[in-house]
Amino acid sequence: MLEAGLFLLLLGLGCSIVLAFASRAFYVWEDPKVLAITDALPGANCGGCGNPGCASAAEAIAAGNSSASICVAGGFEVAQAVGEIMGETVEEREPEFSWTSCSYGVGKAEPRFTYNGASDCQAAVMLYGGSKVCPIGCIGLGTCVKVCQFGALSIGDDNLPLVDYNRCVGCGACVDACPKNIVSLTSQTKRIVSEYVTDECTAPCQRACPTGINIPGYINEIRKGNYEEALRVIKEKCPLPLICGYICPAPCELNCRRNLVDEGVAINPLKRFVADHEMAANKHIDPYKCADNEIKIAVVGGGSEGLTVSYYLARLGYQPTIYEAKPELGGILRYVIAEDRLPRHVLDHDIDGILKMGVEAQTNAVMGRDFSPFGLLKDGYDAVLIAGGGFDSRKILQDFQDKGDAAIPGVLMMLDFLAAIAQDHKIEVGKHVVISDAGIKTLEVARKCLELGAGKVTIVSDQPISSLPLEFQDSKALASDGIEIKAFSTIAAIGGIGDRMDRVAIEDRDLSGDIETKRSIIDADTLIISTGRLPEMAFVHAAGKPEVEGEKIRWQTIETFRTFPSDGQRGLLSSPEPGRISDSSAVVKSILSGRRLARALHQHFTDGVITPVLRLTCEASYVLDVSEIDGVSPSNRETPPVSDVEGDSKRVWIFPKELPGLDENKTTREAERCLRCGLICYEKNR
Amino acid sequence: MEYIVLVITAVLVKNILLAQYLGNCPFLGTSKRMDTAIGMGVSVIFVMTIATAITWVVQYSVLVPLKLEYLQTIAFILVIAALVQFVELFLKKFAPPLYSALGIFLPLITTNCAIMGVALLVILKGQTFPEAVLFAVASGVGFTLALILLAGIRERLEVSAVPMALRGAASGLIMAGLMSLAFFGFVGVDGSLKALIQ
Repeated sequence: MLEAGLFLLLLGLGCSIVLAFASRAFYVWEDPKVLAITDALPGANCGGCGNPGCASAAEAIAAGNSSASICVAGGFEVAQAVGEIMGETVEEREPEFSWTSCSYGVGKAEPRFTYNGASDCQAAVMLYGGSKVCPIGCIGLGTCVKVCQFGALSIGDDNLPLVDYNRCVGCGACVDACPKNIVSLTSQTKRIVSEYVTDECTAPCQRACPTGINIPGYINEIRKGNYEEALRVIKEKCPLPLICGYICPAPCELNCRRNLVDEGVAINPLKRFVADHEMAANKHIDPYKCADNEIKIAVVGGGSEGLTVSYYLARLGYQPTIYEAKPELGGILRYVIAEDRLPRHVLDHDIDGILKMGVEAQTNAVMGRDFSPFGLLKDGYDAVLIAGGGFDSRKILQDFQDKGDAAIPGVLMMLDFLAAIAQDHKIEVGKHVVISDAGIKTLEVARKCLELGAGKVTIVSDQPISSLPLEFQDSKALASDGIEIKAFSTIAAIGGIGDRMDRVAIEDRDLSGDIETKRSIIDADTLIISTGRLPEMAFVHAAGKPEVEGEKIRWQTIETFRTFPSDGQRGLLSSPEPGRISDSSAVVKSILSGRRLARALHQHFTDGVITPVLRLTCEASYVLDVSEIDGVSPSNRETPPVSDVEGDSKRVWIFPKELPGLDENKTTREAERCLRCGLICYEKNR
Repeated sequence: MEYIVLVITAVLVKNILLAQYLGNCPFLGTSKRMDTAIGMGVSVIFVMTIATAITWVVQYSVLVPLKLEYLQTIAFILVIAALVQFVELFLKKFAPPLYSALGIFLPLITTNCAIMGVALLVILKGQTFPEAVLFAVASGVGFTLALILLAGIRERLEVSAVPMALRGAASGLIMAGLMSLAFFGFVGVDGSLKALIQ
């Protein structure tokens, strides 16, 4: 008994001595912060932050490699707790959430075969990419549901994942698990700046809409009677729903799939109905708006493009101010379009809605006379946008060349240049002239510039050298004259100091390598643009923050929209139509330009670079579609009344004072006609 | 040659999990996913080997000389527990990658009955030190084999249409039972092998 007790005592003592010694000898120092942070983190090990688990996230935070707010699952409270441990202040971030793009589950979508294997999406995709005809359709076996640690996902009755937005923390585990990219992580901001890509589920009408309104989405809301929600869907892509409802040429209706059986859905009258509904209630629905940041942006031009860019900038949290030369905002909408087509109270309602988002406006402010982009930059604006839009944008350059500040120094239109020479007017060019586009008159202009005292002329063309006219191909002879050809290149930006332009960035269009090495900056002080219009330009501080050299500010422009060269649009002045990202032939097209300008500026201020949109959906791109539909019975399109406008049933008003819209009954019936199309799916048995 | 028979016996015929039913707790607990099953298996091989080696030494150089064999169980528990703690500290200092890989499994198996069982079995069988160590390694491998097999089955069950009432642990137990039946097919193989050698 005694010896047994003694033995165990000794054994225990021996073990504890060894362990005590070991814990000292093998001591590993651990940062107490790591332990504290690990405790503060939710411990879900979801991997949403990019680290394999909460413990390694804590290490990364403690080591200073990650910010205190990397935890996506914990949200702002956890970020604050971690920030306290690290002694950092954390800012509230915009929450992200899962978004599912497929709306026709297995059973409703066109099947290729019946799958009867392991009930797991990743297993199912291995068999010919899934059982649906649609290559991007949801398989509905719920792999995303299994990986969600927060119980935010479930498979609904229609075999599609349902997101519980109250539970979703935006960790992205489902995004990684989904083999079909049905689930993606998005935020309100991302949705505002997004563009449609070819491998995304879009309806034909949506692709035809220049600004890409989610048409099936809003018609579905109308069908359910949620008029305000419908308007919110529209305002994600179009801030002027009422104006569009009156005057949009509605290319969407021509592309409506119902045209294959009867007539396209009256998409635009439906839009007008919800917008009219808002106006009748005399209020403006409030869409999502990000927390304000301190970035001030001046938008030159108060037309549809300027209004749109200001609206989206305001929604993204910026502080836009519109500078409009005319006494009132609206541009062509107010001063050109007949009041019979677009009543002024309609215009005022939509413009009010934009101003209510936090947009300031200064009217009667003329660029060159009252302000200049560089003056505004110096006055504390972080960016100045020129959204000249539909009016003759050359006026920006012409009218004020000899009054006060130069509007955009060193930039000339080739037309003006040729006209001045033909009339023997005095015209000055700088030491190094850059001419965009190699056309018939380009060499003549180049030689004239050399005569006028330019030391060197560089001609930039977006065509490869082999497709240029013959006279451009003898580069040696041209070089001896002082003319250099840069073929297959585009002008990406201009830069300067104060009211003087002194550099031009030229980018190689062949983007097979690293983008950064494709850009060369040359010292040039004159730019001659061979197009009739001035492109949209966005001036920012060259160093990212105001940098003043002897009272003058250093500036540069940024690209306003960027895709890959195969998609045609690139650079400041690029093909297919040089010098325009904008198209002012319809209000909905300039709304697109405005939204893209907002996107470019937002990317500039958040990521620093304007990223190209890969596989952008455009007219030339191939998108899966159907050429015939079955199971849909014809029904008549509802039309607004055209006669009997003023109680006289005998008279048909061709141009009535104000065209009436659809009434509520007709709207409901018309909304029911919508087939709620997807890429190849549509509602059958209607 | 005898050693080969010893290994085959420990891995297949008298598989610690499927024939001797030791360590059923981690067998069901860590067989849901393949990567945890592998982590657990490797940890068991590791701990089982050194625990058996140490307890063999404790038995023959401490307990037997002091005539305290009746304290075997309690002494082994104490020694194995201390050993695992020590190994954990050692790994943390000198092999951090191994530590983070075995990480949570090490404390889990401190007083696992499979570990304890093997330590006691080698004494019971009166094995020599090399035999004891080899038996421990082989038992660990047998444990890992059974665990990985069950994990494979359970991963498949996860995506199959299993009746609601049988999902999870219930179907796991049924699978373990069926596997155990399958392993009964090896009974007698050790005897025949021994006969073959003689």
